Amino acid sequence: MKTASRILGTALFLDGFEVQDAPRYGAERRGAPLFAYVRASRQPINERGVIRRPDLVIVADDTLVPMPAAGVMAGLGDFTVLLVNSQEAPSVWKDRLNLKGPVLTLPATAEDRQELRFAGAACAGAAAALLGVVSRGATERAIREELGPLGAEVVAANLERALAAFDLMAGHAGCVQEGTEVSASGYRHPEWIDLPFEDARVAAPAIHGAATSVEVKTGLWRTMRPVIDYSRCNRCWWVCSSFCPDSAIGVNAEGRPQIDYEHCKGCMICVAQCPPHAIEAIAERAAAAAEGGRP
Amino acid sequence: MSETRFKRMKDLPSGHLLGSGTPMCAGCGGLEALHEIYDILGEKTVFVNAAGCMTLLSVYPFTPFRGSWLYTAMASAPAGAQGVRDALDILLQKGRMAPTDDLEVVVLTGDGAAYGMGLSATSGAIERGLDFLYVCYDNEGYGNTGQQYSGATPHGARTATSTGARGYPGYKKDLFSILAAHRPAYVATAIGAEPLDLARKVEQAKGLKGPRFIIALSPCPTGWDYDPKDTVEIGRLAVRSGVWPLKEYRDGKVTHTKIPGARLPVEDYLKTQGRFAHLFTPQRNEALLGEIQGRVDAYWQAVG
Repeated sequence: MKTASRILGTALFLDGFEVQDAPRYGAERRGAPLFAYVRASRQPINERGVIRRPDLVIVADDTLVPMPAAGVMAGLGDFTVLLVNSQEAPSVWKDRLNLKGPVLTLPATAEDRQELRFAGAACAGAAAALLGVVSRGATERAIREELGPLGAEVVAANLERALAAFDLMAGHAGCVQEGTEVSASGYRHPEWIDLPFEDARVAAPAIHGAATSVEVKTGLWRTMRPVIDYSRCNRCWWVCSSFCPDSAIGVNAEGRPQIDYEHCKGCMICVAQCPPHAIEAIAERAAAAAEGGRP
Repeated sequence: MSETRFKRMKDLPSGHLLGSGTPMCAGCGGLEALHEIYDILGEKTVFVNAAGCMTLLSVYPFTPFRGSWLYTAMASAPAGAQGVRDALDILLQKGRMAPTDDLEVVVLTGDGAAYGMGLSATSGAIERGLDFLYVCYDNEGYGNTGQQYSGATPHGARTATSTGARGYPGYKKDLFSILAAHRPAYVATAIGAEPLDLARKVEQAKGLKGPRFIIALSPCPTGWDYDPKDTVEIGRLAVRSGVWPLKEYRDGKVTHTKIPGARLPVEDYLKTQGRFAHLFTPQRNEALLGEIQGRVDAYWQAVG
């Protein structure tokens, strides 16, 4: 997504806009939710920081929508265009999220992990089309510029996806409306709350509980889910349980391994290492659907 | 290797002490090693963490540890460990802490600190005979900031700062020998993909006093550019190709704990990782591949 924002930013720049683009992520590693923003204007941009009222929101992974931590819905107004990379219809998302504004979907590429790598380029291409002010040529040049150092093959593969998405969205070109500039004169001071100054024993960020990290549900990072077929598991538990970097495979009283899906990040080391091949990788979306849950 | 309670895989702990929910990448080889180490070390530990990826393990209010954890600047974890050890010793001396409550002080550091900017503080701690365990998760680059080269980066690897056709021009520093030359109580290399070997080494280190070191090679899907599911396979290939010798130093002697019988060609290991892709495409760099293989061969010939 960081690269997608750069592509879109560069495309806007090539077509004569002033541009800011930046990714935002926390201290977490690859796999954790992240967002990037692009701000463009014909005039010099004085505004800085995260965009509070976006005109276009693009969701590259639709499993992020129900995650409060991902903040997908933050700042969505009645005129904000929402584009979701999803196999479900726009109407489904519109109903589900109770949205007034326009909703579009970029038909997500099937459950192919390889194809996921191009989601960023596709999103950037689609976004460029929806803005209606970025040419197809500038989009293409931006991709060549941003991905060039990765080699001709990478550029070609990403170009193909990005331009396909651009063409797919061409019918909606210009549906994103330009927002108004935020003026400093309208700035409302936050309602400050006075807190007493505490001594270090109280105020220091000391953690007194043990293993509190279990409160963080890293299971939400997963795109693929490892599932144990107990008829094939030969209960050699040390393999999957020792190798799982995240302590997410425990062993029950009968010596059977059990995967903690609240924390499994979906690295699939257990799938690759299980001696009798008793662990299968299933797309998270399909696994969740089989459980009757929403993606 | 002397008496061990870890004779077979089934002797390894089935319950895990390190809490899940950490922000490390999916498939992190360093976290894999750390959780295996922590299971053997136990809860009565104080971790002193040099800046690096693992600094993020403990971000308020979350921690995967069951005991204390302290964060230091990148170069000064052994100095931090000295302070903690001294404080514990004073408490013990004054009778304010029962000897049964004593804690093991453990430095946790990446290769950037261990092989580079923290080396002087480490050397000083060995000079002073500091009683501590030092664990280095070595992912061969400054992984937390985007995999720039470090003193641990292998020859020819692509890093964020070594992007040319020949990759990193330097050579991986031999930290094991540098530490062993100080004649500390214990030094070992290890890897999460060999949990039994790792468990025995932690057990050995735990039973000794003085400066003790474990350097764990930590395959890094993000920095080395491979699918996270391959972390264990790549770790195993590092051992079987002879790239990462598993060994220990004790009482002035170096012992190899796992000598690969028929060593696999080094390229079987290199091929698995995007950081070495330029050695194979667009055409094979025979000279560089030959040089890397030659260095590994020379190492094992010297071992005998």
